[in-house]
Amino acid sequence: MHNKENLSVMIKHFKLLIFLTGLVLWIKPVYSFFELPALNVIDVNIISIEELKEFIKNRDGKPLLINVWATWCAPCREEFPDLVKIANEYYDQIDVIGISVDFPEEIDSKIIPFLKKQNADFKNYVIKVIEPEDFINLLNENWRGAIPATFIYDANGEQIKYLIGKQSYEEFKKALLKAPSLSPTMGEKI
Amino acid sequence: MIKKYLLVFSLLLVSIFAIGACIKSSQKPGAIENFTLQDYNGKNHSLSDFKDSVATVILFIATECPVSNAYNERMENIFHEYGPKGFAFLGINSNKAEFVDRIKEHAKDNGLTFPILKDENNVIADMFEASVTPEAYVLNSEFEILYHGRIDNSRNESEVVSKDLEKTLDEILSGIQVSKKETKAFGCTIKRI
Repeated sequence: MHNKENLSVMIKHFKLLIFLTGLVLWIKPVYSFFELPALNVIDVNIISIEELKEFIKNRDGKPLLINVWATWCAPCREEFPDLVKIANEYYDQIDVIGISVDFPEEIDSKIIPFLKKQNADFKNYVIKVIEPEDFINLLNENWRGAIPATFIYDANGEQIKYLIGKQSYEEFKKALLKAPSLSPTMGEKI
Repeated sequence: MIKKYLLVFSLLLVSIFAIGACIKSSQKPGAIENFTLQDYNGKNHSLSDFKDSVATVILFIATECPVSNAYNERMENIFHEYGPKGFAFLGINSNKAEFVDRIKEHAKDNGLTFPILKDENNVIADMFEASVTPEAYVLNSEFEILYHGRIDNSRNESEVVSKDLEKTLDEILSGIQVSKKETKAFGCTIKRI
């Protein structure tokens, strides 16, 4: 009698286990389908001078803000939360990209952990260059290479403003607002 | 009698102004003014102490900047190679939060044997208009800038293809004109007051 009861309990437990396993297997793909991949995936690529030149030139109807930074640069780290705020707030009106001057070998060990900590969803690259002056002069010939540095381009890829040193949220906004070719709606929003 | 004294006094005044003008004109336009700073042992070093050197190499450096630190060994090697050839070397730390004790400790830990001076309130960095670490200047005996910029092209020593500072020093040694007077230094921003 006892054996029969035990067997019945065991079967019930087994059925429950099968049900729960099925539920988990069903939920996972459904959850993944609705999950926004960009929230958790931070992808950092290496970019060359030529690729950067093309990127600046080929605007998709949007102005561009390029921020040059490094994980070892204290003022860069300090201004980053404000940059993230700007990028999140105006993601539909401007393209924001970061260019790290850390070593490309430090993407996984330093750059991605830093970006995750900052909740930075905007695209980031690491510049790969043998002659740093090519990079400096591409962004602005008057720039001496000190970071952080921010460069703002209009929708035609023409540079309209550059900012050297640590900026605040208000300073980023002010610089963007001064840009004559930015859309009027952005001005309103700012 | 009074007229005579007035004449002598006027002549004296004119002479003083003339001498002053001569002293002033001895500094070439665009040249760096003489300065005195203390090293981490409290010893004074003036630019004028090195007037007889082939040239003076000024290196703005830092203790906590990874870029500057990546150059520690290279800077020390350059000092060892060119010091005996008559070049003077001075390191300058202008960062507001890097104090003398730390500079001394950092020099010891990293084997930096050239004098490193503390530039309180970044007065000298302002005078040179230095902006990052490491940033190099080479001055002739009249404190004119012969070279300003980077040490070489890469923080990563294995990717160095252009040893700009060493090339400059070789050109000075050979008595030929410095071919590239200006490059763009890259590194950590000097933290000013």
